[in-house]
Amino acid sequence: MDAIRIPLPAELDALDDEHFRQVVRSFLHAHYPEHLRNPPKRLHWAENKEWYHILAREGWLCPGWPKAHGGLGLSPAKQIILTEEYERHGVARCNDHGIVMLGPLVIQYGTEEQKRFFLPKILTGEHVWCQGYSEPNAGSDLAALRTEAVLDGDHYVVNGQKIWTTLAMDANWIFLLVRTDKHAKKQEGISFLLVDMTTPGITVKPIINLELHDEFCEVFFDNVRVPKENLVGQLNKGWDMAKALLGFERIFLGSPRQSGYALSRLKILAERMGVADDAAFQDTYTRLRLEFEDLKALFGVYVDKLKRGESLGPDVSMLKVIQTELFQKITDTMLEVAGENAGLLEPMEGNRDLNLGGLYIQARPATIYGGSNEIQRNILSKNVLNLPG
Amino acid sequence: MSAAQDDSRADSIRMVRDSAAAVAPPGGDLKRIRTLRFTDPGFDRATYAQMGEMGWLGLRIPEGLGGAGLGLGEACALAEELGAVLVPEPLVAGMLSVAALAAAGAPLDDALSGRLYLPLAWQDRADVLAIPAAADAPRRFVPMAAGADGFLVPVREGGRIALYRATGSATIERTQDGGNFGTLMPVLGERLAADIPLDGLLDEAALLTGAYLLGGMERAFAITLDYLRTRSQFGKIIGTFQALQHRAADLKMQLALTRASVESTAAALDAGATGDARRAAVSRAKARAAEASLLVTRECIQLHGGIGYTDDYDVGLYLRKAMVLANQYGSATLHRRRFMATAPEGDE
Repeated sequence: MDAIRIPLPAELDALDDEHFRQVVRSFLHAHYPEHLRNPPKRLHWAENKEWYHILAREGWLCPGWPKAHGGLGLSPAKQIILTEEYERHGVARCNDHGIVMLGPLVIQYGTEEQKRFFLPKILTGEHVWCQGYSEPNAGSDLAALRTEAVLDGDHYVVNGQKIWTTLAMDANWIFLLVRTDKHAKKQEGISFLLVDMTTPGITVKPIINLELHDEFCEVFFDNVRVPKENLVGQLNKGWDMAKALLGFERIFLGSPRQSGYALSRLKILAERMGVADDAAFQDTYTRLRLEFEDLKALFGVYVDKLKRGESLGPDVSMLKVIQTELFQKITDTMLEVAGENAGLLEPMEGNRDLNLGGLYIQARPATIYGGSNEIQRNILSKNVLNLPG
Repeated sequence: MSAAQDDSRADSIRMVRDSAAAVAPPGGDLKRIRTLRFTDPGFDRATYAQMGEMGWLGLRIPEGLGGAGLGLGEACALAEELGAVLVPEPLVAGMLSVAALAAAGAPLDDALSGRLYLPLAWQDRADVLAIPAAADAPRRFVPMAAGADGFLVPVREGGRIALYRATGSATIERTQDGGNFGTLMPVLGERLAADIPLDGLLDEAALLTGAYLLGGMERAFAITLDYLRTRSQFGKIIGTFQALQHRAADLKMQLALTRASVESTAAALDAGATGDARRAAVSRAKARAAEASLLVTRECIQLHGGIGYTDDYDVGLYLRKAMVLANQYGSATLHRRRFMATAPEGDE
């Protein structure tokens, strides 16, 4: 590929879409560490901080932030192109909760002091964030959360437990949804609190998931004293803010790339197993390809909406359901095609493209996280189809 | 395409949709459709002529030949609107007939105006998308043949496809939707052209049939949602039951996929897709529309319960229409097979 000139970060948002895509490709060829391509598991900070620091050094770390705060100021349409190219190149996801969640929260709702203190530390990698939302009894029903913060002088005292906290062991700060009013309606007594993980009283316990990976943690809070100026936005308005933060990024849960990756591996597997020309396999494979092509068409409908500057409605939930269920169907088929190889712990024949069991297991949480597919169907029936109750 | 072009295209499609109300008032009842079904010829000649007057039969025909010169985006929107109220007048077969005459360079005023219905009698057996080798093979499944004023018969001659006028009356079989198929023993008359691009025309007919099915699915689903919002059992509106809500959500996703499939295919063809790319795109859309329309309409019956199984209730009409159109211009199986043979792989 011809290398093309990579413009200054501040110039990126003005490029036309196709030119921008080429720039992203050149950027990845020039800068992305080869040994981090397509990692079989989510990487820890020790492994991926190299890439985080490269992005920081090049000024590419925060695509969605305004330029005034050190971001690239990219439109949603350009951010989608960026993500597509990252996925195509096999770029590992970095510890991005500060970039994707906390930064936008502080930019939108934080005080000037909070912006001055927190944003630069995300840009340098000094603060690595994790997200404390879910609790043992507040999963799909997140508003039922009970971790409480009680004001005591200049501090909030936090007690409770978070769970499914992604990569909490790598983080030195956590943003929390906490209950600050036990008597209000459950959505109306919740606030946003920023907590230094080195504060006494915090315990982090990794959970080994089905992938045998310690991606998630439990985080325990035992009389943790948090300065009251670490509250973001208004007291008891945390739920509304959390909802407002769910912006166009929801479209990424429905990105066809995950299914496309699995489908191309299914093809490799079928050839390896000698069934690529088998009529029964071809029938199944064709059905999956058609599903994939129509998913791409539907994804394109939503991308076009963003390009026209429209916001996404609750109907974007459809993309997430369709994508994740197709991803699972493809990995189900891989297992069936693989014969006894399906049971292997390591990739078949040592080939990373044939990580059958791994992909099958990785496909399981796709229908659970980001709002389970059952919750998505509830959203569709109530907010899109206007069914009662 | 520029934003301005996008906007003017969207306007053009909207205007076509609005114009459909002349024959297919949105949300209108199906009395006219019920009166016409299982009669001869199964549709109203005056309405068919009105469709010609509206310029619909020549929607895809260049303006220089008396058509409207519009794209498949517009044609699909029109077929969808007509499908929503189950218009029995043969829009797709009529457009195919006019397009074949235009491709042959034959006079087309009478067909274009809807004064004559000259369906293309092209297939010799079920579930094909190619014409037979033998010129005298019986031509089967001619749509609404009971109303035909004559036939057009494509004939394979060497590597080409010639077009003939043909006479003779067809044997009529009634169809589930109240219309009919004809079987014609062709008696070839005037040879109109030595070579017409029939493949492309059949592809358009397949895509338009998918769009018609999409309109029907949407309407049947809307009727069902109304029912879920009003019907009460066990002291509750049945739409509050999660088992039914999730089934409705699944149908909504099928509708969204079908729309995306049909509209992206229309856009690809309007942008100039040809050859295998065209065939793969059309097959994708028709396979989806065929499968989804059968699924959605039979789920609509189930979600209604007993009332959905009565002939008086309208969802059954949509089920019957899907039974006829799902396999017209190729079943889901045929189109999946053709997709596999023509769709380029890679970049997944």
